[in-house]
Amino acid sequence: MRGAKSAKWVAGAIVVALAATACGGKDKAEEGEGKGKAGGAVSVGISEPKRLVPQTTTESEGSQVLDALFRPLVSYDAKNQPVEDAAESVTTTDNSLWTVKIKPGQKFHDGTPVTAKSYVQGWNWGAYGPNAADGNYFFATIEGYDALNPADPDGEEGPKKAPEPTAKELSGLKVVDETTFTVKLAKPFADYKTVLGYTVFYPLPDAAIANIKAYEQAPIGQGAFKIEGKWDHNKSIKVVKNPDYTGTNKPNVDSVTYKIYQKQETMYKDVVAGALDVIPQVPSSELANAPKQFGERFKSSPASTFQFVSFPTYDKKYSKPDVRKAISMAIDREEITKVILNDSQSPARSFVSPVVGGYRDNTCGDSCKFDPAAAKALLAKAGGIEGNKINIGYNGDGGHKEWVDATCNQIKKNLGVECVGQAVPQFAELLTQVEQKKFSGMFRMGWIMDYPSMENYLGPLFTTGGSSNYYGYSNKKFDKLVEDGRAAKTSAEAIKLWQQAEDVLVQDMPVIPLRFGKNVFAHSKNVSNVEMDLFNRVDVTKISKA
Amino acid sequence: MSNTTKSPEEAFAEGMAGTVVPDVSSKQDKTRSLAQDALRDLIRRPMFIVSGILIVAILIIASFPTLFTSVDPLACDLKHSMEGPSGSAWFGYNFQGCDVYSQTIYGTRNSIIVGVLTTIFSLIIGGLVGVLGGFFGKWTDALLSFVTNVFFGLPLLLAAIVILNNFRDEKGMRNAGVMAVVLTLSVVGWMSMARVMRGAVMQVKQADYVAAARSLGASTSRMMFRHVLPNSITPLIVVATISLGAVIGAEATLSFLGIGIRPPAISWGVMISEAQGRISQGLHPLLFPSGMLTITVLAFIMLGDAVRDAFDPKLR
Amino acid sequence: MGRFVIRRILQMVPVFIGTTLIVYFLVTQMGGDPIQNLYGEKPVPDNIRATLTAQYHLDDPFFVRYWYYFSGLLQGDFGESIAQGRPIAELLVEAWPETLKVAGVAFVFELVIGVVAGVLAGMRRGSFIDNLVLVSTLTVIAIPIFVLGNVGQTFLGQEWGLFPVAGTDDGFISYLLPGMVLGSVSLAYIARLARASVAENLRADYIRTAKAKGLPKSRVIGIHVLRNSLIPVVTYLGADLGSLMGGAIVTEGIFNIPGVGFQLFSSLNVEDGPAVVGFVSLLVLVYLITALVVDMLYAVLDPRIRYE
Repeated sequence: MRGAKSAKWVAGAIVVALAATACGGKDKAEEGEGKGKAGGAVSVGISEPKRLVPQTTTESEGSQVLDALFRPLVSYDAKNQPVEDAAESVTTTDNSLWTVKIKPGQKFHDGTPVTAKSYVQGWNWGAYGPNAADGNYFFATIEGYDALNPADPDGEEGPKKAPEPTAKELSGLKVVDETTFTVKLAKPFADYKTVLGYTVFYPLPDAAIANIKAYEQAPIGQGAFKIEGKWDHNKSIKVVKNPDYTGTNKPNVDSVTYKIYQKQETMYKDVVAGALDVIPQVPSSELANAPKQFGERFKSSPASTFQFVSFPTYDKKYSKPDVRKAISMAIDREEITKVILNDSQSPARSFVSPVVGGYRDNTCGDSCKFDPAAAKALLAKAGGIEGNKINIGYNGDGGHKEWVDATCNQIKKNLGVECVGQAVPQFAELLTQVEQKKFSGMFRMGWIMDYPSMENYLGPLFTTGGSSNYYGYSNKKFDKLVEDGRAAKTSAEAIKLWQQAEDVLVQDMPVIPLRFGKNVFAHSKNVSNVEMDLFNRVDVTKISKA
Repeated sequence: MSNTTKSPEEAFAEGMAGTVVPDVSSKQDKTRSLAQDALRDLIRRPMFIVSGILIVAILIIASFPTLFTSVDPLACDLKHSMEGPSGSAWFGYNFQGCDVYSQTIYGTRNSIIVGVLTTIFSLIIGGLVGVLGGFFGKWTDALLSFVTNVFFGLPLLLAAIVILNNFRDEKGMRNAGVMAVVLTLSVVGWMSMARVMRGAVMQVKQADYVAAARSLGASTSRMMFRHVLPNSITPLIVVATISLGAVIGAEATLSFLGIGIRPPAISWGVMISEAQGRISQGLHPLLFPSGMLTITVLAFIMLGDAVRDAFDPKLR
Repeated sequence: MGRFVIRRILQMVPVFIGTTLIVYFLVTQMGGDPIQNLYGEKPVPDNIRATLTAQYHLDDPFFVRYWYYFSGLLQGDFGESIAQGRPIAELLVEAWPETLKVAGVAFVFELVIGVVAGVLAGMRRGSFIDNLVLVSTLTVIAIPIFVLGNVGQTFLGQEWGLFPVAGTDDGFISYLLPGMVLGSVSLAYIARLARASVAENLRADYIRTAKAKGLPKSRVIGIHVLRNSLIPVVTYLGADLGSLMGGAIVTEGIFNIPGVGFQLFSSLNVEDGPAVVGFVSLLVLVYLITALVVDMLYAVLDPRIRYE
């Protein structure tokens, strides 16, 4: 259940808010808000992480823990721009060959030095196909990836097994000296520095390479905290302050215990009772009560999630853009976010999230404006919907029933079209049915960004053959604009091209944007300075005892 | 479970074992059969009358929901979300702004079909397995116990997914109807009944009147169905009447996971599980379907009690 | 009796093997995609899919896959969980003690309360106590367990602080509330079964004989009625012990107890075949053992029942 709900998080920086902390933290102290005491122990609620090796950790729970144990090469500032952290510098002249220099004198928790080799061996481990790391695809942009991940000659259905990889190391990674290594990309990419903040780009110590299974039970990093004892599965993970930490974001507290919960409802009750300090996601059933129970201690911050409903291109029923626009106009986004979701998400009228550079408000215009009369007229003009009946598919294991049912009820009322929410047990089954062109109807989708770039919304979701373009949208003009943006010399140029690409989407309306996510969290009276980053992680270097 | 006629060896056996209440006046009234006796007795019991009326009322609601409400249960408007009971909506509105009364009425049919049919099927399978295993013992019992234990070990979810996977329409989409759900829940629901029945049969089998019947040359089937079954069925009825309620709840689990009855079909179970996530905002969407479920289960328990009391030779 | 027990224990071996085969087969029939489940809503790269498929033999014919599993099992290796990447033996060792504690509390709770309530109700049929037991057990049946669990947790735990809200940090007391919630589900069955049995046996001739002999009432009830009434109750309790362990999904979730129910449910959700087979097979063993114990209890409770 959790797997599908948490989608996948490609996480990033330990200290996403670190750069912001440097000044933001001070501002707070001056304002008298940061009245937290130094020292003490705090607890943060999480679900059981899937894995705890950085290169295999792409979901939020594991990356929350690794965030405390590791220091990323770059972290993100208040505008989500990358800033050097463990790296001294990340430079390039041609957007293709990148030189990474790491800050000298860093040590892993086991005392061994952090060197260029630590990064290269970590990345090679993640990229090596037979290790089947979740984060494997992040290394695909680096030269030599194919040699580590040979394609199955007759496809995955074929009888032949994929051949053994011909190399164990990426040819694009070169150790220059103790603290310098270079990354050669297969294709130039202007935003590559942004990418380097995620979990999968953390270094691995020699101990990990020697025995990865043992390492995973007590990961050794180079971050502000180190693990105490072992990962106590389904119960807790405790981390304590690392005295040798050289970063600027020194933690306030002595230790953080990640308490593992099966249900957010239980986690919530424990915070109310004072047995837990922070709940990173208040469950929907408690959203109505949380403001009363927590007052000021109930907070929200932006997150990168994007919820939408898509139209499979093989289903002729929805082939006219006007039909799609009419459905979009019959949905009252405000009513749903307010009544069903208690403002834990906000209405979306654009195709990229507000958290990335290049976002423009309401690019969708009239097509996303709630207007039942205009919607009916538009639908009539387009000749109505075949059978006067539609359905919205969703995975039953992800907590989507309430808003899908509400959306359907609105469409029924405002458009006069029969609408049924259709649950499929798991997201995997929904995907299979869509891939086999069996699923008839619209279906819900969600996206959580891998790295803060507009391209990360447009590329995977809407380019022809994009990795998550399950509905089969294809527009050559759009593809070219996205591709040109990737190869652009500067970020500003890239954003300009990507914005033109987004305008193409507005015309075609391949999906209906519905909502952008928020972190909706609460904490006990025992702690203060609780903040969350874009990746749904509590910043444990900032948190302090109240 | 009923005895229509009384065989000589049965009368003898019961006489020997003294299981028929040795009330002289009723003993002399030999013209009535046990069943007739039971029926006469039954219709005079207030518990039977009350439960009978309740069950008939529920069946009428299930068959003709339109007699009881003119509101469309699927016309929902978020503007009414969680509004309490009022003149226009007797049971108030649920989280989606649907009329709870209308949904409860329309949900009756599916819930009753699932609850009653599943209970009956499990009762038949469980009763049969239990009687055969308990009565014959030895390898029959070993085999049936093996099957029972394997089914016991199977998680509801695993069995349900595998069975309901096979109910698909021509396009390969899931299309489980009410009967598919009944089948699934019966397959995973009969084991307790089999175990309870087996235990009771093993106990009754040793009774003197069974031995007497055997020595009088009664056939195996006669002994099993005339002597052992009527005397050992009480625990089975107890378990069956209670599990009716549990079955209606289990149906909700399946619907909730997307493998049960498809929307727009409504059932009490689905209403209850939808309402439970929002109990902190209002109890009424939970209370009304739960209330109907309680009344239904109560009616069946009372009916079961009354019927058992009337037919059980030992209690008369 | 001794030979009966030995025979039954020997029978467990083929039963265990048969069960793993059946469950393994069923898991392959779930029709899902365990690898996609690992990736949530993100796409699975083809090469990773190929690697994992080969690693877990997902492409091989059923019997080949089962053979891999079974030959591992013969060497005491339960295999590795697809979803968690850990040895299943480790998962079993972590989950079983938790579940045993909760199930133990639940078992004692339903046994004591259920039998006492049922006997009292059965002795005074139609009395106030009888009706009270009927209404209260019915209420428990009609209230779904998640509501019961949540209400208990909110008031007894969060508001009044009588019990820990959740988790297993406080030792034995952590298991009390979840155990009682879990046990309350079967309480109604136990109470109703005990009531029906007691009512029936009270009229039996041997009771009349016992009374006529002038035995004290306590002895008549305590020895004669109770002993003869317990067979259906014991049967049900035996069957229930297994479901307390495997079916405690909701309770374990609410009270955050990392037991068998939780592991089984999450493994099923991601179609983690080897983990499901490991947990279910052990559950079947539990059912077999309880069934054997129940059968032995029959002979104790009713000397007329004999096993040859």
